[in-house]
Amino acid sequence: MRRVAIVDVAQSSGVESSLNLMEFTYRTVKELLDKVGLRRVDVDTYIGASSDIFHSGMSCANAFDFDSIGAFMKPASRQEADSMWAFYYGCLRIISGHHDTAMVVGLIKGSENAENDTITSCFADPFYLRPLGIQETTAAAMQMRLYMDRYGITEEQCAQVVVKNLGNALYNPYAHIKKRVTVEDVMNSERICDPLKAMECAPKSEGVCAILLASEDRAKKLTKRPVWFLGYGSAMDTFYLGDRDLLDTKLKIAGAKAYKMAGINDPRKEIGVAELCESYAYQELLWCEELGFCAPGEGGKMIEMGITGINGDFPVNPSGGVLAMNPYVSRGLYRIAECFLQIKGRAGEHQVKKRVKRALAHSAHGFAGQCHTVVILGS
Amino acid sequence: MGRGVAVIGTGQTKHGRRDDLSYPDLVREAVKRALEDAGITPDDIDGVVFGTMPSMMEGVALNHLYFAESLRVVGKPMLRSETCGSTGQSTAHTGIYWVASGLADIVLVVGSEKQHEGDAQATMMTIPEPFMRLAIGGAPAAFSMQAREWMGYYNIDEEKAREAAAIIAVDCHEGGYINPYAHIRVKITKEDVLKARIITYPVRLWDVCPSSDGACAVILASEEKAKKICKKPAWIKGIGFRGEEYFMGDSSKAVWRSAIEAAQEAYRQAGITNPRKEIDVAEIYNPFTYQELMFLECLGFCPFGEAADYVIKGVFSPGGELSCNPSGGVLCTNPIGAAGLIRLAEAAMQVTGKAGPHQVDGAKVAFAHAMGGAQQFNGVTIVSSEL
Repeated sequence: MRRVAIVDVAQSSGVESSLNLMEFTYRTVKELLDKVGLRRVDVDTYIGASSDIFHSGMSCANAFDFDSIGAFMKPASRQEADSMWAFYYGCLRIISGHHDTAMVVGLIKGSENAENDTITSCFADPFYLRPLGIQETTAAAMQMRLYMDRYGITEEQCAQVVVKNLGNALYNPYAHIKKRVTVEDVMNSERICDPLKAMECAPKSEGVCAILLASEDRAKKLTKRPVWFLGYGSAMDTFYLGDRDLLDTKLKIAGAKAYKMAGINDPRKEIGVAELCESYAYQELLWCEELGFCAPGEGGKMIEMGITGINGDFPVNPSGGVLAMNPYVSRGLYRIAECFLQIKGRAGEHQVKKRVKRALAHSAHGFAGQCHTVVILGS
Repeated sequence: MGRGVAVIGTGQTKHGRRDDLSYPDLVREAVKRALEDAGITPDDIDGVVFGTMPSMMEGVALNHLYFAESLRVVGKPMLRSETCGSTGQSTAHTGIYWVASGLADIVLVVGSEKQHEGDAQATMMTIPEPFMRLAIGGAPAAFSMQAREWMGYYNIDEEKAREAAAIIAVDCHEGGYINPYAHIRVKITKEDVLKARIITYPVRLWDVCPSSDGACAVILASEEKAKKICKKPAWIKGIGFRGEEYFMGDSSKAVWRSAIEAAQEAYRQAGITNPRKEIDVAEIYNPFTYQELMFLECLGFCPFGEAADYVIKGVFSPGGELSCNPSGGVLCTNPIGAAGLIRLAEAAMQVTGKAGPHQVDGAKVAFAHAMGGAQQFNGVTIVSSEL
């Protein structure tokens, strides 16, 4: 297999921007091109990631964003739903030998579209689920309740995830929500869907993230220390919640596939940093278990012992995670960008203490994590 | 570059108004037929690529989640490629890259649309941004303007353009009439087309595609797998995709650069220098007859400004030098998210001798195409009976 590397990344801030989506997107793409020293036409292929439903009342998202990601008259395509798929598609184009460089851009302007759950309720089918009021938050509340019941996870342990992640976000210049909070603050925030509290749910954010991929030969010419694409796994679950065990998700399959491809036997020992998609606080604990970072039901203990803290033994979401910054479609690419920065030692104030050789990025979408994707990067 | 990739099976639903089943079951119908055609089971599939039109079409967003079971993707990886009307070509290209990379051996590609559960033109009104939307929106308006631009640019006599468009309409409906999967299955005459009511000048009723429910599935396999499990694979010889500016006024739509360059890229890969002579069948994305005229020029099948003359001479009619849209094309069947993929399925069926009543005798090399966006995107795939 041809090796693929990340040459560099660029991110926008998650804070509401007055720029329109076209300019907002182009700025980040241009920043990356300038950083790497390439012109738009020098990049072989462009893959965008955007979603019609998150596209401010406009259909065919990439019709509008095509110019701004730099794709004019270039071999190009777009992934809907999850920008981590766009990353993979960019890798596939390089591995296939058709292209040597690929620009992958995830984009969304959360401030211009409806509330998260107005949108996620549209994922539900119109006959059975939507009339019941199922959307991502109500589905998550059921998953959290089951998690607490089965394993004795406490609400305080879940709240600690918020404290940790928002604490990390204070040091991440791109994060959207920056706030020092305590477990009490989280516990006292409004119960929006029992047992979920408002502060345990991800916000909605702006977010353009651009990543430049290159084949081994090209990467070595463009940068001294490329970060390598080592593994990928993705798996879809059944649609109806009643057909699944909500605590036995397809993340296990996605993780196992990525580990196998990257040659990882003991993820807890061999991975230095994990960036997980915790749209709801408890999910970080559950995803840690399913990825094999701890035993089933031990997620609560892991956070209590400070293992996943930025200076802990196994840092999780040093960027602040999705709880601090949630550009729905691009959040997968943000996880990858953060892993890249941590491996390069370029994360600045939120750089983890230990040297990171391998990092894991995770993305999820759908009710209670119907679809999971895992990417592993390494130095 | 990469490994050889082939189409080893295709499946289409009966297209039309499908009130008899739910949207997931419509998808299932196409997937099931493709699996049967390829003679494989869902377990053999390594990954799935899906694509359709925007969520507003049927009112379910990110509907790959809803279709997880129908797509046979539970426990497996998937990708979702979408580029509006050209989605069908973009999903196919995604599958081709996936197999060519060696990270999957067999990939299922699916496209679908159930237009009778929504309002396609209302959705298309939301593709232009809110200011442009006030002046132009919906497919007929945009494409009629394009037809006028083309006629004006080359100073094409209006009567001649109308006659050529009518010939295309008659030829396509003849193909649709015998194609068991087609939506519109009626026989029409040139007179019918010329006298039909105007939709948006110069486009008349028979110049316009229908709104269809339908799905299409295509199974792609690596060279090694294809040789092992398929007697007659359709080999992928070249792919091309290009897109241009969002704002329509920024570029010429008469000399349509994205169509020209997408086709040229595919020809380069396939080693084709004279497309009209070297290609036996072309499935051109033709939601409007006038667009097919423009495409014949931009895709390199005839000189610029001369498409009407060539069509009137019968070059692209059944039995002509290059048979265009023997399936009836998009003009007779238009489940948008599937329409571009149906072009590839039909092209593969033609070069493997599986096209049934609308088979073009001895077809060896076939061309599939789709366009989309605010008249922005063009995608092309070329298949051959030989590796």
